[in-house]
Amino acid sequence: MPSAIFTIGRSGLTASRLSLELTAQNIANAANPDYSRRTLTQSELVMTGNIGIGASADSLGGIRPGVVVRAESALVQRQARDASSALSAAETEFFALREAESALETSGLFTGLVEFEAALTQLQGNPLEPALRISALESARELAGNFRVGNAALANARSLVQDEAAAEVLTINELAAELAEVNRDLVAAREGTAGRAALLDARDKALRGLAEQFGIATTINANGSADVTIEGAPSVALVTGGTVAGSLAVSVNPDGTLAFDLGGTAFAPSGGAMAGRAAALAEMAGLQTGIDSLAASVIAIANAAQGAGVDAAGNPGGPLFSGTGAADIDIALASAEGLATAPAGAPAGSRDTANLAALLAALGAETGPAAGADALLLGLSSRVSALDTRREGLGVVAASAEAELLRETGVDLDTEAANLVRLQQAFEANSRVIQVATELFDTLLGLR
Amino acid sequence: MSFVSTSTGSFFNRSLAQMAELRGQIERNRTQIATGQRLERGSDDPAAAAQLRGVARRGALAAVERENAARLGEDLGAASTEVEAVTALLQRARELAVQAANTPTGADGRQAIAFELEQLTEELFSRANAATLSGEPLFAGLSSDPAFVRDAAGNVTYAGTATSGAVPVAPGTAIERGLPGSEVFEFVSGGTPTSAFAVIGGLAAALSGGSPDPAGAALAALEGIDAALDTTNRAQTILGTRMAWVEQVQQQQADASVTLAERRSRVGDTDVAEAIARLQQSLTALEASQAAFARVSSLSLFDALR
Repeated sequence: MPSAIFTIGRSGLTASRLSLELTAQNIANAANPDYSRRTLTQSELVMTGNIGIGASADSLGGIRPGVVVRAESALVQRQARDASSALSAAETEFFALREAESALETSGLFTGLVEFEAALTQLQGNPLEPALRISALESARELAGNFRVGNAALANARSLVQDEAAAEVLTINELAAELAEVNRDLVAAREGTAGRAALLDARDKALRGLAEQFGIATTINANGSADVTIEGAPSVALVTGGTVAGSLAVSVNPDGTLAFDLGGTAFAPSGGAMAGRAAALAEMAGLQTGIDSLAASVIAIANAAQGAGVDAAGNPGGPLFSGTGAADIDIALASAEGLATAPAGAPAGSRDTANLAALLAALGAETGPAAGADALLLGLSSRVSALDTRREGLGVVAASAEAELLRETGVDLDTEAANLVRLQQAFEANSRVIQVATELFDTLLGLR
Repeated sequence: MSFVSTSTGSFFNRSLAQMAELRGQIERNRTQIATGQRLERGSDDPAAAAQLRGVARRGALAAVERENAARLGEDLGAASTEVEAVTALLQRARELAVQAANTPTGADGRQAIAFELEQLTEELFSRANAATLSGEPLFAGLSSDPAFVRDAAGNVTYAGTATSGAVPVAPGTAIERGLPGSEVFEFVSGGTPTSAFAVIGGLAAALSGGSPDPAGAALAALEGIDAALDTTNRAQTILGTRMAWVEQVQQQQADASVTLAERRSRVGDTDVAEAIARLQQSLTALEASQAAFARVSSLSLFDALR
C-alpha cells in the first residue's frame, strides 16, 4: 500500500515535532533551578495486525512518540539534599555566633577590665590624689557600662536568631502542606505526561526547601510521592503521603534556646539550619552565663575589697558595684572619696595602699575576671574559627553535590543546540518522505 | 539517554562561586592594608587575638607603671634634695657647736650662736615637713598629715607611720615611696633615743642661758649632732640607691615597651609587602577568571550555528 509511506512520514513528523517542542522547553528552562531535563522516548511502530508469512514492507507503521521522561537520580538528589542540610546547619550557626563574637568584642568588655585595672594601678602611685580617685571610679563606671552593652548586644544577636527561626517555621509549614498536596496529585497523575514531570519538579523543590531547614529522611514511593521524616531526637514524621502529620511550632525557652514541637511531639532536630540555630542559641546561652558570672565576680571582688578596707576619711568602704549580673551591674559608690584604698584600721588620710593592692591582685589573678574575659573571648573566637573551617569544607561538598545533581538533571545548552539541529533535520527529512510519497502517488495516478 | 555532560547551570554556578571567593579575598586584603591590622575579628586567628589581648593588657599596665615610676622618681628626688639640705644644715649646726665649745665667746656671742641655732631648728622643722609636688608630706610615711608636730612647749614629735608604702613600678616590683621621718631625723645618741630637733633645740636653749656650763653643753651636743649627721647620710644613701633603682626600672620599662610594640606588630600588624603582593595576585586571578568566563560562556553551540 503506498499510503503506508504517508503514515510513516506523518508519524516521523509528529515525533520530531514533539521532540523539538521538548527541546525548546528544556532550553526555556535552562536557568530554572527546579527544572529537571526532559526527554521523549520513542519506539518503532510495526503493524502486526495482518496475517501473513514473513514481514513485508506493508507491516511498517513508522514511529510512535512515547512518554516524557524526566531526568532523575534519587541517590544524587539525596546527596545534594543531605549536603545542603549539613551546610546550612554549619552556616547558620557560624553566622549567628559571629554576630555574638562581634557583640562581645566590640562591647569592650576586656578593654574595660584592663582600663579599670590600669586606673587602680595608677591610684597606687598616689592613693589620695582626687584626680586619680575619680579616674578609677569613672573607669569602674565604664566597665559596668561595657558589661551592659555586651549584654544588650548579645541579647540582640540572640533575638535575631530567634526571630529568624520563628519566620522559617512558617515556610516549613507551607512547604510541608505543598508537598502533601503534590503527593495527592501525583497519585492521580498519569505516567509519562508533562504534568507528572512538573509535579515531580515541585516535589523535589519542596524537599530541597525542607532539607535546608531540617535534616530529613525521605522515602520515595512507587507512585512518585515522597514521605518525609525530620531527623532528630526523636525523629518525627512530617509528611506521609497526602497528609501532614501536624503543625511545626518553635518556642523560646527562658534561657533563650529553642524548643521544637511537631503536632504535640517535642523533638530536637539534628540537621539543617534549624539545628544550626538551636546549637547557636545553646552556645549563646553559655556565653550569657559566662558574662553574667564575669560581672558577678567583678561585683563580688570589688565589693569584698571595699568591705575589707577604709576610705580616705577612715570610714569602712561601701560597695563599689550594685547588681547581680551583666544586665544590671552599675556603680553603687557615690563619690571617689569612698574608694577603700587603705586596709581596715588605718586612720583617716592614710596613704597605705594594702587594700588597693589586694583588690588589684584579685582582679588580675589567674582565675580573675581579666583572665576569665580573655578565656571567654578565646573560646568563642576559636569556636567561630572552627565553624568557619567546617563551613568552608561543607561548602565544597555541597557545591560538588549540587554540580553532580545539575549534571544529572540540569540542561546542557550545547546538547540542546545539537538536538535542535538534529531534530530539525529529522523534521525536514520526514517532510521530504511525504513529498516523495506524493510524487510516487502522482506517478501511479499518471499511468496511462 | 545517559551521557556525561556539564550542565550550563553548573558551569555558571561554579564560575560565580569562584569569582565571589576571589572578590572576598581582595576585600580582605584591602581591609588589612587600609587598617594595618591583620585581624579583623578574633576568629580570624583566635590564638593571635588572645596574644594581642595579653599584649594590650600588659601595654596598658606598663604605661601606668611608667607614670608611677616617673612620679616615684620625682618624689625620691624631692626627698633627696631635702635630706641634702638637712645635712648642710646639720653641718652648720656642728660648726656652731664647735665654735661655742672652743672659742672663748662671751655671753653675747653665745646668744648670737643660740639665735642662729634656733633659726636652724625652724628650717629643720619646715624641711622635715616638706611636701611632694602633689602636696603629700615627704617624710610622713603612710600618713597624709604633717610628719612632725610641735607642742606648746616646743617639743617636736614624729606623727607619721614607721613605714612608707611601696609603689608598683613593674610586675612583681614595688619600690618604697620614700623614708619615714623617724628614719631621717630620729636616732639613738648616748643610749637614749632622741631627734635632731631635740639636739639642736636643746643646745640653743643651753647657750641662751639655760645651762650653767654652756661650753660643756656645746661639747656634749657634738655627739648628738654627729649621730644626726650619720642618720641623714644613711638616709641620703638609701634615697640615692632607690633613685638609681627607679632609673634602672625606667630603662627596663622603655626596653619592655619596645619589645611589646614589636610583639604587637609581629602578631597583629599587616605585613604590607605581603598583603600588597597577595592583593595583586588575587586581582590578576580575578581579571583572568572574568576574561576566561566571558570567553567560555560565549562558547555556546547556539553562537556557532547560524
